[in-house]
Amino acid sequence: MVAINKNAQEVLTETKNLYRQSGDLNTRLIKVGKKNVGVIFMESSSSTQTISDFIIKAIDYVGNNPNGLFKNLYHHLKNNIFNSQVLTTKDFTEFSYYISAGFTLIVVDGMDEAIVLETRAQLDRGVTESTSEPILRGPKDSFTESHAKNLGLIRKRIKDNNLWFDEIKVGRRTKTRVSIAYLSDVAEEKNIKQIKKQLQAVNVDGILDTGNIREYLTEQSSSFPQILSTERPDVACQALLNGKIVIMVENSPFVLILPNVFTDFMHTSEDQFQKPFNMTFTRLLKVLSLIITLFTPAVYIAITTFDQAVVPDQLLISLAIQREGVPFPTAFEVILLMTVFELLRESDIRLPANMGASMSIVGALVLGQAAVDAGIVSPIAVIVIAFTSICSLIFNDPDFINGIRTWRLIFILAATFFGLIGLVAAVLMFLIKLSSLETLGTSFLAPFSPLNLDAQRDTILRFPMPRILKRPEYINQKNVIKQGGKYEK
Amino acid sequence: MKNKIFILLVLCFILCGCSNYRELNDLAIVTGVSIDKAKEGYKLSFLIANSQKPQTSSKEGEAQTTVYSGQGQNLTEAIKTIEAKSPKQLYYGHINVVIISEEVGKDGFLKIADLLLRDPETRKQFYIMQARDVEAKDILKIVSPLEAFPSQNIATLIQSNQQNQSFSVEINYSLFLGQIIDEGYDPILPSITIKGDVEDGSKEKNLESTAPETYLKLGPMAIYRDDKFIAYATEDESQNINILNDNIDDIKYNFQYNDMLVAYTSDSLKTKITVKSPSNLEIKVSSTGFISEINGNVDLEKKETIKKMQEKLSNSVKKDLEKTLKSLQNKYQADVIGFGNMIYKKYPDKWKKFEKNWNETYFPDLNIEVKTDFTIEASGSLDQTIKEVLT
Repeated sequence: MVAINKNAQEVLTETKNLYRQSGDLNTRLIKVGKKNVGVIFMESSSSTQTISDFIIKAIDYVGNNPNGLFKNLYHHLKNNIFNSQVLTTKDFTEFSYYISAGFTLIVVDGMDEAIVLETRAQLDRGVTESTSEPILRGPKDSFTESHAKNLGLIRKRIKDNNLWFDEIKVGRRTKTRVSIAYLSDVAEEKNIKQIKKQLQAVNVDGILDTGNIREYLTEQSSSFPQILSTERPDVACQALLNGKIVIMVENSPFVLILPNVFTDFMHTSEDQFQKPFNMTFTRLLKVLSLIITLFTPAVYIAITTFDQAVVPDQLLISLAIQREGVPFPTAFEVILLMTVFELLRESDIRLPANMGASMSIVGALVLGQAAVDAGIVSPIAVIVIAFTSICSLIFNDPDFINGIRTWRLIFILAATFFGLIGLVAAVLMFLIKLSSLETLGTSFLAPFSPLNLDAQRDTILRFPMPRILKRPEYINQKNVIKQGGKYEK
Repeated sequence: MKNKIFILLVLCFILCGCSNYRELNDLAIVTGVSIDKAKEGYKLSFLIANSQKPQTSSKEGEAQTTVYSGQGQNLTEAIKTIEAKSPKQLYYGHINVVIISEEVGKDGFLKIADLLLRDPETRKQFYIMQARDVEAKDILKIVSPLEAFPSQNIATLIQSNQQNQSFSVEINYSLFLGQIIDEGYDPILPSITIKGDVEDGSKEKNLESTAPETYLKLGPMAIYRDDKFIAYATEDESQNINILNDNIDDIKYNFQYNDMLVAYTSDSLKTKITVKSPSNLEIKVSSTGFISEINGNVDLEKKETIKKMQEKLSNSVKKDLEKTLKSLQNKYQADVIGFGNMIYKKYPDKWKKFEKNWNETYFPDLNIEVKTDFTIEASGSLDQTIKEVLT
C-alpha cells in the first residue's frame, strides 16, 4: 500500500505518470476556495455525461463551504447519487484499477483519501438471442459481455437471498472480475472454498474469457470436458438450482458450470421445457447417436478387415463389390474422409455466414460425390463417415464433440491394427478413463457409477417434473429436497 | 501396479496381432460349394459371389458370380487346385449352401464331412442339399432373375418351399451331421434339380427372358440310412415325413368328400409322438384350418356337414400317414422320424438289444398307431359354396 499524496496537484501528476502519454486519461484541477480538488477519470471507459452531471455539480454545490470539503463532498455524492457506487480509498496502488475500470477519482488538498465514484460507460451490446445454443421452446436471452447484466440475468430468475455471488479479481494486469455464484444453502461449502483457492492461486497477467479460467479449474487431463460452459441464463439457473456452482467472468458471454457428469453434456435446457415422454425419447436418441458416433468407423474397419464372419451374407458381398477398385486400405480411406470432414467443419465455423454456400457445394459435391466417382473412396466409407459426423453434431458442446473425436480416432487405430478384439480393449480403456474422472468429489459417470436410482429420474430418462423430488445427490447431500418438503428460509 | 496394468493392456494388443488382417476386396467370398464324385477322389466347385463389378453402375443385385472347380483325391487337394485358379484369397466364412451329388451320397457322407466341420472359418449352419439327376456343380451355375446370385437363390427357394409346398425341408449342416451320428436316427436331405438346359441357365440370357428357360426346382427328400443315400421319397411321402417330423405348420391337403375334391389349408399343424412301450408308438396329429376350395354343392352352414368333412379329412390324412410309415418301415427301412432315438431315450437298456439290427429287423416290426384330429374352423371368406352365393 502506498499512501496518497496530500497535494492534489501532485496526485494528478503522479497518476499521469502511471499512464504516461495515454491520451484518454483525463485529469482536472478545480479550485474551490483555497483548496485544489483533483478529478481523474478515463475518458474511454467512463461515461463523461455522468461525470459532468454529478461530480462537477457536486463540487460546485459543496464548494461554498471550504471547511471539511472532502467529507461534505463524499456525503453529498453518497446521498444524492444512487445509481452508482461511492467509495473511498487510501491506497494509491488501487488507483490504476479504478481508473481503468471507468471509475472517477476525486482527491482534495490536505487529505490522504480519495473518493471513488463509479462512472462506467456501457461498452457492450444488449441482451440478444443465443446463437451457439439455439432451442425451439424456452427463454431466448443469452449472457452478454457485461458482468453486471450477466449477474442480473441470473438474479432476476432466482429471487432468493441465498443466491450468493462471491467475487474475486483474477489476472495481474486485467484484474478481471470473476464471480462465483451458488445457492448458499444447497451447494457444498468445501467446493466453493476449493474453487476460490484455485482461482486465487492463478497468477497470470490476463484472463480474457471463461475459457481461460476453466483451464485452471479442470483437474484431470482428459479430452472430455468436465466443466460445462453455456451462454444461456436458464441453463445456468437450472444448474444453480441443482446445487451446482456457476462461475462468471467479466467480459465473457459464457459462464462455467461445475461439477458435471457425463450425461449433463447430452442435455439441453429444452429437456426441461418439453413433454417428458418425448424428451426421454430424444435423450435415448442422443445415447444412440453417441454410440454410433464413437464406434461406427472402428466397427466398420474391424468387420471389413478382420472379422468378416459377423457381417450378413448380402451385406458383405455388397461391401466387397463397393470396395472393388479402391486403391487404399479401408483404414486409410476412413481416416482420410474423417480428416476431410473435420477440415470442412473447422472452416465452416471460421467462415463468414455469407460464404457458407460455396463451402457446402465444394464439400458435398466435389469431395463427396466426385471422390466416389473417381474411385478414390468407396461409397460405403462416405456413408459411414457421414453417419458418424451427423451423429456427433447432435451435441452442442464443442469440447464434448472434440472429446468424442479423439476417442473415435483411438478406436479406429485399435480396430485397424487389432480388429474387434482390439476395439473391445480400447473400449475398456475408454471406460476406465471415464470412470476415473472426477470433479469436486463428483464421479464423472455418476449417477450410473456409482449407481443412484433416485437420480435416474432426470438423466437418460426424464420423469415428469412433479416426480423429480430430489436434487442430484451425487453433487451435494446438504439439501436434496427439491419439491414437496418444507422450504427452509 | 500401474506399470503392470499398462503391460497387460499392451499385451492384449500385441497378442491378438494383425495376422488375420485382410482387405475385403482381396477376398473371394465363397457362398456356395458343390461336391461331385470324380474318377479318382472328388470334384469340388466354389461359387464366388463378388467376382466382378459391373462397369456401368454399382447398384445392388448386380453382383456377378463365378464358379471355380478343382479335382483331387480329397477335398483339400481339390481346394489347392482351385486356389491356383483364383486370383483372390478364398474366404469360407459365408458359405450359404453346400450341394452334394448322388454319388457322393451313395459313397457315404462321413468321408467328406470332416473338412467343412474342421475349418474354423465356416459357419456350420449352411444348407445342405443333394443334386438329383444332375451334377452338383451345375446347380451352382444356374442364375435366377429374382435373386442376386445362385446360392442366395437356392437358400430362398428352400426357405419359402418348406412354408408353401411342404415337401422339402431345411436341413443345415450341423443338423444333418447330428442326425447321422445320433442313435436311432436316419437323416434326410432335400433334393434339388435343374429344369431346362444347364448351359443356357448359366448365362446372362437366362436373366433377360421373362419366362426363364432354365430354373432350379426343389425335389422330394433324399432318404439316407446312416450316412449313405438310399432312395428318393415321393412328393406325398416327403410331405408326410414333414408332418410326422412336426416340421411344418401349414399344409395344403386335398381330400374327397361326396365325389368332390375339397382343398383344406391347415394353419397350425402339431404332431406328438409318444413311446408307449419299446415296440409300441402312438402318433397324434392335430390341426386347425380352413376350407380353401370346393368345387361342388355343399351346405357349409350346417354343423353336421363340417363334422362329416372333418371325419373324412382326418381319415384321409391318417391313411396317407400310415401308408408313408409302411413304406419307410418296409421299402426304405430308414428311420427318418427318429423313432429309434425316442425309444433309446426312454428305454436306454432295451435299446442295446435293438441297436444292431434296428433298420433291418426291429424298425419294420414297430407297431405305430396314428391318431388324427383335424378341425375345420372356418370356410374362408365364403360361408356357402360359390353357386349358392351367386344364385
